[in-house]
Amino acid sequence: MNTEINVRLIVTKAVLWFLLGAGAVSAAYRFFRGLGPATALTDLTPWGLWIGFDVVSGVALAAGGFVIAAVVHVFHLHRFHAIVRPAILTAFLGYVAVVVGLLVDLGRPWNIWRMIVYWQPTSPLFEVGWCVMLYLTVLTLEFAPVVFEGLRWNKAYAFLRRFTLPLVVTGIALSTLHQSSLGSLFLINPERLHPLWHSPLLPVIFFVSAVGLGLAMVTVEGVVTAWLYRREPEWHLLPSLTRAASIVLALYLAIRLVDLAARGKLRYLVEGSWWPVLFLVEVLVGVVVPVTLFNLPSLRGSRRAIGTGASLVVVGFILHRATVAGISHIARTGQGYIPSLAEIFTSLCIVSLMALLFLFFVEHLHVWEQPPTPAGHFRPAAVDPVSRAFIRGPWLGGAQRAVLAWIVGGVVAAALLELGVANGPHPRPQPVAPPRSVDVVRLPRAGATGHRITLAALQGPDSVPAQGSERAILIDGNHAGRWVLFPHEAHQQRLGGNASCGACHHLNVPLERGTSCARCHRDMYRATDTFAHDGHVTALGGNASCARCHSPGAIKDRANATPCRTCHERDRSRVTRVQASGNLADGVAAGYVAAMHGLCVTCHARQEAEHPTGGEPYLQRCPACHRELSDDGRELRLREGAILEARARP
Amino acid sequence: MTSYAILTDVTRCIGCEACVAACKAANHTGTDAPWPWQGDASDLSSTRWTTIVRGPRSRYVRVHCRHCLEPACASACPVGALHTTPEGAVAYDPSICLGCRYCMMACPFRLTRYEWASTKPRVRKCILCYDRIKAGEITEPACTAACPAKATIFGERGALLAEAKRRIAEHPGRYLNHVWGEHEVGGTSVLYIADVDLSSAGWPHYLRHASYPALTRPAMHLVPPTFVVVAAAMSGISWVIGRRQKLAGGENPNPEPPAEQPDSEERP
Repeated sequence: MNTEINVRLIVTKAVLWFLLGAGAVSAAYRFFRGLGPATALTDLTPWGLWIGFDVVSGVALAAGGFVIAAVVHVFHLHRFHAIVRPAILTAFLGYVAVVVGLLVDLGRPWNIWRMIVYWQPTSPLFEVGWCVMLYLTVLTLEFAPVVFEGLRWNKAYAFLRRFTLPLVVTGIALSTLHQSSLGSLFLINPERLHPLWHSPLLPVIFFVSAVGLGLAMVTVEGVVTAWLYRREPEWHLLPSLTRAASIVLALYLAIRLVDLAARGKLRYLVEGSWWPVLFLVEVLVGVVVPVTLFNLPSLRGSRRAIGTGASLVVVGFILHRATVAGISHIARTGQGYIPSLAEIFTSLCIVSLMALLFLFFVEHLHVWEQPPTPAGHFRPAAVDPVSRAFIRGPWLGGAQRAVLAWIVGGVVAAALLELGVANGPHPRPQPVAPPRSVDVVRLPRAGATGHRITLAALQGPDSVPAQGSERAILIDGNHAGRWVLFPHEAHQQRLGGNASCGACHHLNVPLERGTSCARCHRDMYRATDTFAHDGHVTALGGNASCARCHSPGAIKDRANATPCRTCHERDRSRVTRVQASGNLADGVAAGYVAAMHGLCVTCHARQEAEHPTGGEPYLQRCPACHRELSDDGRELRLREGAILEARARP
Repeated sequence: MTSYAILTDVTRCIGCEACVAACKAANHTGTDAPWPWQGDASDLSSTRWTTIVRGPRSRYVRVHCRHCLEPACASACPVGALHTTPEGAVAYDPSICLGCRYCMMACPFRLTRYEWASTKPRVRKCILCYDRIKAGEITEPACTAACPAKATIFGERGALLAEAKRRIAEHPGRYLNHVWGEHEVGGTSVLYIADVDLSSAGWPHYLRHASYPALTRPAMHLVPPTFVVVAAAMSGISWVIGRRQKLAGGENPNPEPPAEQPDSEERP
């Protein structure tokens, strides 16, 4: 044990605290803004990194606890005693991480207790929830003796020690159930998964691989912490673990291949896509390469081979779990998913929190047979009592260092999230149909302002307008396959001439080639306020005029204001057939879409009632305005001479 | 109890979206906005429980929750927030929902939507207006009541199935001889007849003609026996090996960890 400063421990802890700060801000962002803005999840990809990594992989990585407990307490292989406590601690913290991850991911986490009350035994998630709850309790009781021992609570320690075997047996049974039922989660929707990953045997596959992965994880954890504390890992035990892991992993691979062969799915291994490659990578990294490393006679017992191999198993099976829980769904839903920065930070934060807790426990409790001497355990006085001079350490002290890293992490995350760097869902590339040229004929309307515009023909962009017609363009304004006659020049002039191209083309959103109408015309979908309050105040005489509209004594809000029509009776058209729907008195106008659909459909329905046409419904004319591309996407489905009523500016 | 259903006749739909407007008004779903997580504002979303999509040959096909007779979403829900009502609707109770979104993973049609923008998000989908029909406020869902072309109608499932088959028999040239929802996913309460194949408009080819919850059932039935068998086997193995070691005088069958007496432990 050296007493000198352990730089790698200091740096590791600082990084962990940094991530803790970044994750805390990200998690806060998720709870205050909602899942949509914080994550890249969508309706077609409702589960992402938090489920695929934190929950599904987290449970599997924590499998070492029940495996090692079984080895020592059930199979009585007592030479493995030295790694029982670290394995139990890893499992305990792993499950805490799973629960924290789940609470972050759940949309309504305050309802999680309802799983205890409302039983739903048909749901694998119900079973997973119960098993995680129970097993976390068991793990707490399994680890509690270590804490009691550290606290010198001898009676509590002796009391719990008596229940070791029942606890271990319960823990094994619970782990068997929920390791496998994490696989059962994906049985219900076979069409979401790529066939290489979906199988009725998913529960078995998940359980067997969890055993192998648990053994590898215990190895990795031993080697990494030993590196961190500059101590020797339990080299006399690890080769036995990796050899056992080899057998289990080989069994796992055999099950998967036989299962694929038996169900005739091996042909997907030769399909021309990236999925067989992913399968191959996953199997090579998770099983083939590590098993070779563990068992090649020339490498057998090699420390580097054991460390590398076990790490590969961990990486390979995180990949497997993430693929089953999400990546392979892309093959079927066609919707990609890249986790947002907030998701990544939060995941790293949970891992960092557990790592710091692990380091805290091994430094302060009897987890290892030889507890490490942590750096900074002996700290010299900060002030020299005689000279009153500050004595500076080579670095900031432990606590200050942690707090500093934590704050820096939080600030960095807040800045990145606020700037929107890799945050939130990436905009989907939206195929914008290029604008179409049309020839229109303007005809004056009898007895009304404006013109009747008749579409003469669809034209190529380079053709010359026909005699008596003028050129106009139709655009797919909201990328919805519905076309509107677009006054391009009017927009250009209004927005500032030739310099204004960038206002609509390029840019506001990567991958989007033209700004959709709705981005500027906010009232396309939303209700709009048409009331100018300031203008009314000025016109009516300033501050003294409040009572002209608002009832005296009442709160001066919209609800207590005189309806617009009281003064503006003149402004209401007497000839309109449009019936006001809802309260139009308060200066709030419906959005375009709501207005159009509400107004057109009511009016046309009445027309139909008044003048029954028989046969084809009168509303058949809706598609005359709502035009769309033909099936092949090459021509605009538009009847020659179809009439667009457009009120041209006088 | 009568099981109610909706029959949509694609050949009659004129795409006016009156059903969409009526649904939005009746359920106070709010306005649609082109959120990044739903692609297009006219897609099905938490504010748009029914919408019209384009089928082959530019047919208008209404899309909304299928109200499966054996709903995968309700079977997947860990608390039963999604459940089938006696009237045939698959309804939702936000007060007990955890927000786990397993229902969205489970839906074979991928039609459940989520309030991503909310900090108290709910699962949103058509509920067949079952609450107001039950309360006697209305006699049929807002959408079917609003349809000007009678393209989508409400009624008892058996009667609608008969009506669908009657129309097909009456105009064999007009319709394809298939009632979508009669057998798919074990039967749904939302039926379609059409003159085009709807596999690209909400009824994908891969759908099984069998219950989806049944896919999980065998695994779930094995849970209690597995627990008992594993616990018993582990206890037995432990006892047998422990006893053998004791008889062989080998390793101590009941060893204490190194820190048997915490008080005597030397701590650095």
